[in-house]
Amino acid sequence: MMKTASAVLALLSLALCLVFPVGFFLGRIASERFKLGLVFSSASWFIFASLWTAASGRGKKP
Amino acid sequence: MGPKLSALTGRLDKLYEFDREPVDSGKLQPWTKFAGMFAGEHVAATEFVIGAFFVLHGVTARDLLFGLLFGNLLAVLSWTFICAPIAVRTRLTLYWYVRKVAGPGIMVVYNAANAVLYCILAGAMIAVSATALGLAFGIRSPALSDVLPRSPAWVLLTFVLGALFTLLAILGFAKLSRFAQVASPWIFVIFIAGALAALPKLGVHPDFSNFGEIARTKIWTGLPVAGQEKLGLWHILFFAWFCNLAMHVGLSDMAVFRYAKRWSYGLFSAFGMFPGHMLAWMASGIMVAAVGREMNPGLMAYEAAGLAGVGALLVAGWTTANPTLYRAGLALQTITPNWPRWKTTLAAGTATTVLACFPVVFMKLLDYVALYGLVLMPVGAVVFAEHWVLPRLGIEPFRAEKRGWSVNPAALAVWAGTLAAVFLLPIHLYFKWLPGYVLALAAYAGLSLLDRKPSEKVGP
Repeated sequence: MMKTASAVLALLSLALCLVFPVGFFLGRIASERFKLGLVFSSASWFIFASLWTAASGRGKKP
Repeated sequence: MGPKLSALTGRLDKLYEFDREPVDSGKLQPWTKFAGMFAGEHVAATEFVIGAFFVLHGVTARDLLFGLLFGNLLAVLSWTFICAPIAVRTRLTLYWYVRKVAGPGIMVVYNAANAVLYCILAGAMIAVSATALGLAFGIRSPALSDVLPRSPAWVLLTFVLGALFTLLAILGFAKLSRFAQVASPWIFVIFIAGALAALPKLGVHPDFSNFGEIARTKIWTGLPVAGQEKLGLWHILFFAWFCNLAMHVGLSDMAVFRYAKRWSYGLFSAFGMFPGHMLAWMASGIMVAAVGREMNPGLMAYEAAGLAGVGALLVAGWTTANPTLYRAGLALQTITPNWPRWKTTLAAGTATTVLACFPVVFMKLLDYVALYGLVLMPVGAVVFAEHWVLPRLGIEPFRAEKRGWSVNPAALAVWAGTLAAVFLLPIHLYFKWLPGYVLALAAYAGLSLLDRKPSEKVGP
């Protein structure tokens, strides 16, 4: 459960890292908001991807 | 074998003891592992520099596209038809295979050469990352023509960053490797995000209708900046092909493909080549064009993607310098009697940090990448000839191992002779490796024929 939730949230965060620049390119998001959004979605990726990796590792035998 | 060389090779063997035996069939890995590994390994800090340099060297959009497409295809085919088949047949690392083919003495020289080359590469990564940190402290990045550091502040910056990277490599290589796995997809996404965000500055319309025109007139214009030579289609094609020459034609990725179920798994290297060595290079080209063709990776990343861009540059430098420092430390461990791992990593890190102070290590990165592959390529040719050509000529394989040679004289002569010959070849540095490879193959087969015992038959 933890693994699936972290995986979904991690992938969503990575997708968000692309949504912000696309929005900026299309002129829908201002430069400052795009850069701030990219920082937060990047931080979110690292948090959830680390949890995902940790949860994946726990099930494995040493 | 002399007592000194014997002690040296004994230490070397001990380091690689755990993979002395061929990989067991139960340990073979699925294709997804290879695709994932290649996808993660080929988006490094140096990608920020390589793609940007193509712009500065006046490559046209058409030459870039076709050069990268076919060059990367040739790299994938080299992994598939040269490296993977030998790895799958032997299930050994290059280390142990070269030992059998060329003798332990050659392996010591190969390891030492590798250590030096790794240190220079890690130095370039530290320098690239330093440009990101320099931005925050108002320290000017080196100019394109700089060989020596231009200010004490730059020296201090690279020393601080080098010390930090070295300390982290000493404290936890394994943990950092896991962090690198998490970071690599994000770094690739930041490349794409940065390029996309840089496009409006260059005047690309939101419907991409004028992208082709902007690409030709503002990014890959075909006009080199002052002091940079013009590169064309063949330069780009060869660069993309030889960028990982030591790994595919040089066979060092036998360590990876010995776990493959089939030789065709070499095709999965495409997962690294096309995103990392095509899209990421094109993305960094767009980013450098958006900052007025100024070779400053920190500025490029910051202008395009803000703090996330700067973070990506630092993380990319850190995560790729880390295994490079580790490998250099491992190679050094063989020539440093009883030094623990932390001490050899510290030595490698210190050498790397000193090298990173000199801007030439990243300002001449394209040439360095060419030299790196060129220096190690003859060893790959010797192994290839021993594996495929010598049996067809009826020559006994693994004579070095069977006769107890510390150095296979033919292998040493071919290595040194090939390097001397390619140095004298009056062609561009990027093209030297191919005739050099053919020469090394032919020379090794020829010398082995001369050394054949009368009892060995000719023909298959």
